[in-house]
Amino acid sequence: MASYIARRLLQLIPTVLFILIVVFALVRLLPGDPASAILGDRAVDADVERINRELGLDRPLVVQFGVFVKSVATGDLGDSIHLKLPVTTLIADRLPVTIMLTVMAALIAVVMAVPLAFVAALRRGTAADSTVRGAFQVGLSMPVFYLGLILLTVFGAKLRWFPVGGYGEGFVDNLYHLFLPAVTLAFSLSAILMRNLRSAIIGVIDAEYVQFARSKGLAPKLVLFRHVLRNALISTVALFGLSIGTLLSGAVITETVFAIPGAGRLMVDSIYGRDYPVVQGLTIALAVLVSVTFLLTDLVQVWLDPRVSR
Amino acid sequence: MTDLAPPSERPRRLALPRPLILGGTILLLSIAVATFPTVFAPYEPDAFDYNALLQGPSMAHPMGTDNFGRDVLSRVIHAYTIDMQIAIFATIFPFFFGTIIGALVGYAGGIAETLFGRVVDAVITFPFLVLVIAIVSVLGPGLVNMYIAIGVVGWVFYARITAAEIKVQKRLDYADAGRAMGYTHMRIIFRHLLPNAITPAVVYWMTDMALAILLGSSLGYLGLGAQPPAAEWGVQIADGKNFMATAWWISVFPGVAIVLTGLGFSLTGDGLAELLRTKR
Amino acid sequence: MKIVAAAALSVTALLGGLSAVSAQERGGVMTYGRYTDSLFLDPVLNDANVDIWVMTNFYETLIMSSPDGMTLKPGLATEWSVNEAGDEVTLKLREGVKFSDGTPMTTEDVIWSLNRAKNPDNGIWNFILASVDTVTAPDAGTIVIKLKYPDPTILAALSVFNTAIMPKAAFEAMPGETDAEKAQEFGKHPIGTGPFVLTSWDRGSSMKMTRNEYYWAKGADGKPLPYLDGLNFEVIPDDATRILKLQSGDIDGAEFIPFARVGELKADPNIKMELFPGTRVWDIIMNVRPEINGKPNPLADEKVRQAMNYAANKEALVQVVTYGVGTPLTSFMASSTPMHSGDKPLFPYDLEKAKALMAESGYPDGFKISILTIAGNQDDLGITTALQQMWKAIGIDLEIRQVDNASRTEQYRAGTFEMRTGGWTNDISDPSQITSYFAYSPTIDALHSGWKNAEVDKLFEESQKEMDPVKRAEQFARIQEIFNATGPTIPLYETPYPVALSQKVNGFYQIPLGNNIFTETWLDQ
Repeated sequence: MASYIARRLLQLIPTVLFILIVVFALVRLLPGDPASAILGDRAVDADVERINRELGLDRPLVVQFGVFVKSVATGDLGDSIHLKLPVTTLIADRLPVTIMLTVMAALIAVVMAVPLAFVAALRRGTAADSTVRGAFQVGLSMPVFYLGLILLTVFGAKLRWFPVGGYGEGFVDNLYHLFLPAVTLAFSLSAILMRNLRSAIIGVIDAEYVQFARSKGLAPKLVLFRHVLRNALISTVALFGLSIGTLLSGAVITETVFAIPGAGRLMVDSIYGRDYPVVQGLTIALAVLVSVTFLLTDLVQVWLDPRVSR
Repeated sequence: MTDLAPPSERPRRLALPRPLILGGTILLLSIAVATFPTVFAPYEPDAFDYNALLQGPSMAHPMGTDNFGRDVLSRVIHAYTIDMQIAIFATIFPFFFGTIIGALVGYAGGIAETLFGRVVDAVITFPFLVLVIAIVSVLGPGLVNMYIAIGVVGWVFYARITAAEIKVQKRLDYADAGRAMGYTHMRIIFRHLLPNAITPAVVYWMTDMALAILLGSSLGYLGLGAQPPAAEWGVQIADGKNFMATAWWISVFPGVAIVLTGLGFSLTGDGLAELLRTKR
Repeated sequence: MKIVAAAALSVTALLGGLSAVSAQERGGVMTYGRYTDSLFLDPVLNDANVDIWVMTNFYETLIMSSPDGMTLKPGLATEWSVNEAGDEVTLKLREGVKFSDGTPMTTEDVIWSLNRAKNPDNGIWNFILASVDTVTAPDAGTIVIKLKYPDPTILAALSVFNTAIMPKAAFEAMPGETDAEKAQEFGKHPIGTGPFVLTSWDRGSSMKMTRNEYYWAKGADGKPLPYLDGLNFEVIPDDATRILKLQSGDIDGAEFIPFARVGELKADPNIKMELFPGTRVWDIIMNVRPEINGKPNPLADEKVRQAMNYAANKEALVQVVTYGVGTPLTSFMASSTPMHSGDKPLFPYDLEKAKALMAESGYPDGFKISILTIAGNQDDLGITTALQQMWKAIGIDLEIRQVDNASRTEQYRAGTFEMRTGGWTNDISDPSQITSYFAYSPTIDALHSGWKNAEVDKLFEESQKEMDPVKRAEQFARIQEIFNATGPTIPLYETPYPVALSQKVNGFYQIPLGNNIFTETWLDQ
């Protein structure tokens, strides 16, 4: 097991390096530079040149990349050009917000999907099943920004049950602020989850060993619970691993709509602001986050079902 | 919960699956509206009417008017042309190139497969939307650049699906037969393996078109997709977001159109999958 | 001194007007909702309005701008005089001024601060003190500034944020090698002579301040200002949320109210909807070079530009985009800019005249042209969508291209853009800054438009040495006349700063340059 984890972490290095090169090249291909972004209409050539020189952006790209890799190796991600703060501080500030948002979304998705999937699977072919499956299709077709806007208007602005965006202060307040955004983000995930669970449950019900257990007179509920729940968990965990990229993309939009100071929003703002150190630092952070998620979901799957082990 | 359903779910008849009928109907209607918007739209989509700003739904304007007095219904209808285009153009190139690359990689295996695996890792490790936003920012906003940006990243998913399927097909007898008969690799891949391996990619294509509408409208919402005055659902929703409290109709109706069209694609995809599964 | 008395009077008059009935009450903490957070609180090295507009709460200048932005009033200097030749300024420092850490402000701090501000290696604002040669202190209460050449803007310059007085010893005690590194540390906990002290700063979400116990100015009750015990800035980027929080009483004020909501908030009995006169002007900037990217450019044709101007219905734009809050421009500079001239809207809507001008131009059949706007900016989008319709009438097909700010600036500086939306706010109470960017070609080619007028360039250079205010006003009047008639812009409208306050807030104002002044703000208890 330990060697498996070690191998997985080693695999991460070329992946991160590859993404870094792509992102590094990409942000420098963008028209405009940090100075243009900072100065806007006031930009005078002399100021633009001076600022770029101060930031070391007048040096060849290869040199810039070398400097960057060297500083990363020493644990230094540089300072944000706009916010004048260490990138590590920014990541420590913003990434937890995004993690909390996605984890909440995943939990909410499970809470929404599990009961519905059971209903649909056990009442296969009935109106209840059709309704749930219809809801699934709608959930898949619902754009995140649209759902967010509607939830925000109805439950935030009109009914005032929830805050209209922001992040709040303190853990409980954070949970309260992130509830609507998390529901928004959870919607499409729960739809996919529901479909997978429904077929998983049907598969278990139809499986021979369950039929056998029933024939032996074991309480059906207990049988269902044992087998179905484990299977449900496995597919949920696997799905969460697969969906993390989609979730993070959704988080970018959700954070924009709900004005949440998270990593997704910071990434887009930094691309717009040509804040190279932040874009680079966040890229590493996100790559590590996603890879660790993959690893964790794999491990949990192995733990839940030893047959998955490679 | 004792009355468990009968064990088999597989439809026994070879009739068209219900989702396919429903989804197909929605899609056909959408295509009709997209092709002949002027037949359906009561007004010009970008005609201003300063005497009818921000009016709620009425007989004259069934979906109300926006802050320039433009008829929301007419804009939603004209947006079909653009959004259906997005669904097709944002997916057809990734589909085409993705399946070809996937077929080659799956057939070749070895180092090509390992390298491809790294690319897949990188793409799924980085939020898709952020990558597309960055590429659109490099190329400049607009639909064509948006297609390019989506295509640059999107082919990976088709390639991954096809590569996996080709690997399965490769091991089957008929592939060996082809090799024994001295066919070229290309002929084996494209004449024999790919036709049998393409089904999952086609099914994914349907789902992907629904996703493309979501992505296209998201970029429109952020100002990076379709450019004004083009009526596009995401752009329309963005136009109306400051009026959600006072003039909800500007944003709400275009959103309904997105959900409906997405529904058409994903139902069709589901139905198609069911149909192909039964056929096999 | 005469100036001093007049300025003092106007402040009293303004405050009197705001609080005619009740007397100022002390205490309380005010929470103000901002649309975004500050970035860098160093007067010299910052480069954004989000910093400039709140920095007066921490740092102060020798001279200050009056609330209406038209005159100057005493700040850390109580009086000043300029010599006959116009190349030497003598200022008397206010006695007993202390920094918020309790150390007294000395002439050494003043000399160091001004030298730092004028250093060409420091930041983008040093041009404001470009005329300064040396700063000396003949005695402990006097500062003498010697100029390289007579500079009519020097007094206004001494009221600009970058000339704020900072404590030399505290700054130099900061860790770091360079001035920039020290400033980065210092900016996290600014120490200045301003009315408030920053106690905590949660980036991107809030700033908490308490009153500066050592503040020098006295309130109407004879006790030291500020009236408030504390001041909080809460960052609430979403407009609707900011307004909701004000309405629910979570915050006491909200800046940047969207124009669409101004009317509704004016009608709200619990809200004071303030529209502080600003120097914010909105226009369309055209590239007037004969060729762009090797192709002939229709915008180089003056008749075309005039036709586009007449076909742009500014009244309609004011209604549709600003919901009646803005007013059509009467010159390229806002009417609250000193020496602004012009009393009627430029190019009033006249479609027939526009069509006639197009017919006479080199492009009677119209043409296709693009405009750059900032992606996601609703004001930009509103303006350009409306212009697209308006210009259709004279055969111009306008393509809107939404880009991010850095891309737009890049194309702008490279001179490869065709048209773009523009917005400008003055940083100094003088017409020279806006004129140098808009009309004087050596600065940035007149907004990078490639427009050049020899008479304007000559007049501007003269105005920068002209010490007689009447003659200087005449020079600026002529510059405005030429630019307004033939310049590279479509002047649209000017807008005030829309700020919504709770009814219990008194004595808050924003000067036309944008600075938020909380010094004499107080809350009904």
